Amino acid sequence: MSRDRPVAAHSATGRRHEWGGLLAAAVLAAPVLIGLGYAFGASVGLVGAGGGGRASFTRVARVLGERAMWTGLLWTLWVAAAATALAAVGAVLVAVVFRGTARTDRAARALAALPLPIPHLVAGALGVWLLGQSGVAARLAFALGLIARPAEMPALVYDRLGAGLVLTLAWKEMAFLGVVATALLATSGAAAEEAARTLGASPWETFRRVTWPLLWRGLAPAVVAVFVFVAGNYEVAALLAPSDPLALPLLVVERATDPDLVRRGDAYVASVLLLAVAGAAVAVHEWARARWEPLAP
Amino acid sequence: MRSDVPAAGRWVSGLVIAAALSAATSLGACEARRVAPAGQAGIDALRALPWDSVVARARGTEVVWRMWRGDPSSKAFVDGWVTPRLRERYGITLRAVEGQGPEIVNQLVVEREAGRRAGTASLVWINGATFANLRREALLAGAWAGRLPNAAYVDSTSPIIRRDFEQDPAGYESPWGRVQFAFIYDTLRTPAPPRSVAELAVWIRAHPGRFTYDQGFTGTTFQKIVLYALNGGVARFQGGFDSTRYVGARDRVFAWLDSLRPLFWRRGETFPPDVAAMHRLFANGEIDFSMSYNQNDVIAKVRQGILPTTARPLLLRDGTIANTHYVGIPFNAPNAAGAMVVADFLLSPEAQLEKQRPDVWADGTVLDVARLPEPWRTRFATLGADPRELPRDSLARYAVPEVSPRYHERLAADWRAHARGAHLP
Repeated sequence: MSRDRPVAAHSATGRRHEWGGLLAAAVLAAPVLIGLGYAFGASVGLVGAGGGGRASFTRVARVLGERAMWTGLLWTLWVAAAATALAAVGAVLVAVVFRGTARTDRAARALAALPLPIPHLVAGALGVWLLGQSGVAARLAFALGLIARPAEMPALVYDRLGAGLVLTLAWKEMAFLGVVATALLATSGAAAEEAARTLGASPWETFRRVTWPLLWRGLAPAVVAVFVFVAGNYEVAALLAPSDPLALPLLVVERATDPDLVRRGDAYVASVLLLAVAGAAVAVHEWARARWEPLAP
Repeated sequence: MRSDVPAAGRWVSGLVIAAALSAATSLGACEARRVAPAGQAGIDALRALPWDSVVARARGTEVVWRMWRGDPSSKAFVDGWVTPRLRERYGITLRAVEGQGPEIVNQLVVEREAGRRAGTASLVWINGATFANLRREALLAGAWAGRLPNAAYVDSTSPIIRRDFEQDPAGYESPWGRVQFAFIYDTLRTPAPPRSVAELAVWIRAHPGRFTYDQGFTGTTFQKIVLYALNGGVARFQGGFDSTRYVGARDRVFAWLDSLRPLFWRRGETFPPDVAAMHRLFANGEIDFSMSYNQNDVIAKVRQGILPTTARPLLLRDGTIANTHYVGIPFNAPNAAGAMVVADFLLSPEAQLEKQRPDVWADGTVLDVARLPEPWRTRFATLGADPRELPRDSLARYAVPEVSPRYHERLAADWRAHARGAHLP
C-alpha cells in the first residue's frame, strides 16, 4: 500500500478489490475445504458408505495402526521421489545441453517434449508393453539370445522396487519439467550468464554459480507439483505397481471398493494421509524458498 | 502490507464462505429428505397398476442403467442389440453408463447424502455383496421383480438363481444372467491339465513360476473354491456366516496357499491386480492358467484376439462356483416404470437367447427353457455351440452355489492383510 495515497479512496475501492479477491479465493478453495471436511467426516464414520452417523476414532486408529498403510506410504514416497529426481535431472540436461538455436537443438527439445500430450494412462500401458517380462524389451532380449524364457527377464513391472513405474513416470514428467527448464533459460538465463562470462567466469563456474541456481530455483515449484502429482497418481500405478507394498493411491481405491461396506471409510483415512504428504511437500518448498530468497514476496 | 483486512480475518472470512456453501448444501439436503425418494415413490405408485399401464408410463422416457462396461461382448449386446429394440418397441431411450459393484453403492450413498429426491440411475447391475450392501443401507426401491410378465419363466427351482449369495432377492432385484467360474488353459501348452484342487497343487509344484491368481473378485472366488475343497464342501458354509467355522477354514486355505506361494509366478511376492492382467500374462506365455467368472469368457476373448485359439475353459471335480447376476432399481430411481420395462425385456426369451449365443456374449440364461412356449424352446435347444463351450451337463454337475457374502468380504480382506505380512486374529 502506498502511504501517500489518500486513505479514504483506498478504503472504498481497495476494500472492494479485497473482498472480490477473497470471494474468488474462497470459490477456488471451497471444493478442497469441503472435500477435506467430508474426508475427515468419513474417516471418523460421520458420513459416507457404512458411516454410523456417530463420530469415532476407532477406524482412524485401526487404519493408522496397519503396517500396509505405512509401507504403502513409504513406497509411494520412494516412487515419487525417485521419479521426480530422475525427471528433474533429465529436464535440466535437456535444457542445458540443447539450449541453442541450431536445428538439432530445436529437434532435441521437441523430441524431449513429445511425452507431454500423452495421457498418463497411455504412458502406463506403454510401460507394460515395453518393460513387462513378455514385453518388447524382453522380446528383443530373447531375439538376441540373452534370455530363453520370460521369467529370465528382470522384473520391471509389478516389481517391488517399482523400477518400471519410476522409469515410466520419470519419462512422462521429464517432458513437463524440460519445457519449464527450457523456458527459464530462454527468458532469464542468457543475460546473467553473459554477464558472468564477461566478468571472467569459466563455463563450469558460470553453470555452477548462475545457470544451476537459476534453474533450480525456477524449477522448484514445478518439481514440487510433479512430486505431489506422482505421489497421488492412480492410473500408472494401477498398471505397473506390485500388490505388495501397495502404493497409497491404490490402497485408497482398494478400500473404497472393498466388498465390506464398513471398510470403505478406510479410504478416507488414507486419502487424508496422501493429502498430508502433498501439504508437507508444499510446506517444505515454502520453507526452502523463504530460506533461499528471504526478500521474495 | 496491502490490506486493511487483517490476515486472520481474511482466513476467517474464507472459512465462513466455505462453511456457508457447505451449510447451503446440507439445508438443501434436509429439505429434500422430507419427500419420499423418486424410486420408492415410483414403485409404490406402480404397485396397483396393471402391466400395460406401467408400459404406457415408460413410453417415451429415458432409462439410465449403471452397469459394468469393461467387457466388449456385454457392452455390444446392450448397446447394439437391447438399446435399439427398446427404442423401437417401447420408445425407451436406454443410456448405459459405467459403474459396477462397490461404485454403485458408493454413488448411491453420496446421492442420498446430497439429498436430492431423484438420483442419476434408474437401473443398476448388481449381485452378491453389492446386493447385500444395498439392502443393508436401504438403497433399493422395493419389491417389484415379481410383477414382470417374463418372471414367470425364471428357473425358480435352481438354487443358484433363487438365491443371490444365499440371500432372498425378495423381488428387490430381477435375474438376467448366470455364469460359472472356470480356469482357462492352453491345450498346446498344458495337454493334461489338473482336474481337482489336489491335482492343481501337484501341478504347481511340478511347474514353478507358472501359476498365479488375481487380487480382485475372481481371485477371491478362486480362494473360495479352495476353501470349499479343503473344508468338506460348500454345504459346511451354507446357512449364513459362521465366524468360528470361517477362521478354521480360512487358516487351512492360507496354509495351503503359503505352502505353494514360493512356487507361484514371481515367487508369490506380487500378484496381478485383475483378470485383464491375468489374461495378458497368460496370452504372453508368462503363466499357464488364467481364470474367469464366466465359463464362456474364453470364447469371447479368443474372438477378440486376446487369447490364443487353443485356449479352453476348465472345471474342477471339486466344483466351481456359479452365480446369477441381477438388475435392481435404486431408491431414488427417476424412472421406475422405464426400469421395470427394461428389466422385463432383459428377461424375455428373445433377449435371453440372443445373450446366450456364443458369438454374442455367451451369458447363460436364467429361464427354465422347458417352461418356454414354442418356438423358443426349440430355438434354445438348437442354439449353436462353440467348440470351446463346456457341455451344459458338466457345468450343471460341477456348479456349486455362492455362500453368504460375508465369507467373500472376510476372505478378500484377510488374504490382503495376510499376504502383506499382517498377523490375523
